[in-house]
Amino acid sequence: MASGRTTTGASERGEGFLALPLMLFYLLFFIAPLLLLFAVSLHADKDMAAWGLAQYAKALSDGFGLGVLFDTLRLGVETTLLCLLLGFPLAWLHRNAGPRWQGVIILVTVLPLLTSVIVRTFAWIVILGRQGIVNTLLLELGLTETPLRLLYTHGGLVIALAQVQLPLMVLPLIDALQKLDPNLESASAALGAGRWRSFFRIVLPLSLPGIIAGSVLTFSAAVTAFITQSLVGGGQQLYMPMYIYQQALTLQNWPFAATISVIFMVAVLFCIALFNLLGRYTRRYSAM
Amino acid sequence: MEFNRREALLTALGTAALSLFPGMGMAQARKLVFATFTGSWEEAHRDVLVPYFRKTNGNAEIALDPMLSVDQIAKVTAARSNPPIDVMLHDPGPALVAIGQDLVEPFPTAQSKHYADLLPEAQDPFGPAIFFQVVGITYNPEKIKTPPKSWNDLWKPEYKGRVGITNLNSTLGTGFMVELAKMKGGGEANIEPAFAALKALQPNLAAVAANPGALATLFQQGQIDIGPGNFNAIQLLRARGVPVEFVKPETGAIAFKTSIHIVKNSPNAKLAAALIDAAMSPEVQAVLMKSPYLIVPTNKKVKMEGEISKVLAKDQAELQKTFIFQDWKKINENRSAWIDRFNREIKV
Repeated sequence: MASGRTTTGASERGEGFLALPLMLFYLLFFIAPLLLLFAVSLHADKDMAAWGLAQYAKALSDGFGLGVLFDTLRLGVETTLLCLLLGFPLAWLHRNAGPRWQGVIILVTVLPLLTSVIVRTFAWIVILGRQGIVNTLLLELGLTETPLRLLYTHGGLVIALAQVQLPLMVLPLIDALQKLDPNLESASAALGAGRWRSFFRIVLPLSLPGIIAGSVLTFSAAVTAFITQSLVGGGQQLYMPMYIYQQALTLQNWPFAATISVIFMVAVLFCIALFNLLGRYTRRYSAM
Repeated sequence: MEFNRREALLTALGTAALSLFPGMGMAQARKLVFATFTGSWEEAHRDVLVPYFRKTNGNAEIALDPMLSVDQIAKVTAARSNPPIDVMLHDPGPALVAIGQDLVEPFPTAQSKHYADLLPEAQDPFGPAIFFQVVGITYNPEKIKTPPKSWNDLWKPEYKGRVGITNLNSTLGTGFMVELAKMKGGGEANIEPAFAALKALQPNLAAVAANPGALATLFQQGQIDIGPGNFNAIQLLRARGVPVEFVKPETGAIAFKTSIHIVKNSPNAKLAAALIDAAMSPEVQAVLMKSPYLIVPTNKKVKMEGEISKVLAKDQAELQKTFIFQDWKKINENRSAWIDRFNREIKV
């Protein structure tokens, strides 16, 4: 790293020492359990008597299980896109607002984080239910004759997850947009670029770090949101967290549960790597 | 002792943890830990069972650590030689898993004051049942004017999009499937008819909830108006003013034994047995049968009263006749395949 080169060796060693407690903590409570999980997944049978890759063969050859994985990743991508769509204007509003309104926007954004996920999720059951706010409104406006099925659907879940995870997208976006020099836009305008062109050539590329950070956070939170997935998604739409729970706890099949956990983790890491790559690529493109 | 890798791995981990935290090894000094179920069960045990146990056992220290059956098994399995729990409470499926995995110490029936008074259905030295859970039809009386009588009513065309069930993760969902199979000529060994019946039920299905608690919420929200439900869960909703009623189907109600077990290698085995005896006693069970707990007793000496005698069974003889207990040994053998199939086939 560039900053690393400028520091002296002694202070580097000092900094490393400061990180030691956290490193030990990670080693003990994150890396060790992860290795244990991996070891459990390498057993051929449910009773863990023999080693083997049988669980991986089973998981990777099962179209149903792979379908669950795909659905989960799709859920993450859809939630992330919706969050971006809702979050960007909010962050933009924050950037152009006065200090008082900025405070209000931050408060409104952070407020949901101060209530428990369970409470927020239950609120969505009330909103999306058959006699919920949305259906009551639609019925009274005469837009529909029978209540729509919103709860326990994929679409309903994406909406609920987007609201629950929105702060994770908005906060990095606000940060990125705030670092944006307003003079750049003026310069772009002075050189004859229209508002949209300035937005796509200047603002968007420069806010990419925020978009990537927000997307990675939202995506990983959405795909692993066990509570919201099971309460708003229902017992029928199977996503990886519920699938793992089912195998590990209801069926006590630890090796298979460990295997699909490892596969899930690798898949999520792959997606995140993809996000980063996309970010780097578009940044280079926009710099041309 | 049989040697396997799961145990070796966990023992290794346990040893590592012990050397890090030496205090963990001195477990004898700790309180008796009873892992009851969460929610109303915990409340009932905290208010009635715990005070009675302490009064009759020289004020012994006890802590409740409520959690789901499956979580109890996971916790005890992870620390076999030094379990963090002394007494487990289980639905029938997990109880057999716990016994099968050698996590349970037999209950000393000969020294017990109350074991002999339990109904034969409740007696099992590896874990006597301290109450029964009952599943029947629950419905919203504001939406459904003629009370349903039989499970067959769920298929009535007028309930299109009104029926809610749970998936097979829960005892309730699995028990319901077995009852369906039995109604259509199958049973624990032949689930095929249940899947056929469920397919026929699909137009009526409004929701497949992830667990019984979520199913109850759907009643509250008007998302569903009829479905299988746990007698005790419904009482909770009724107490909160939710319009919901429980009906025992004319063919009988699905019943589950809830059994209580001494954990193998518990440092408090004696007190654990005393707690189990207290939980079987007519004194405790008679109080728990009354409102607001309404917990179905397993001790023959408890006289059935109130809501339970009105809705479920007026006495033990009727209970034995109209409660349908299922063969969970067979169910456990097949459950994994059923869940797999349910995941794949049932789409709402």
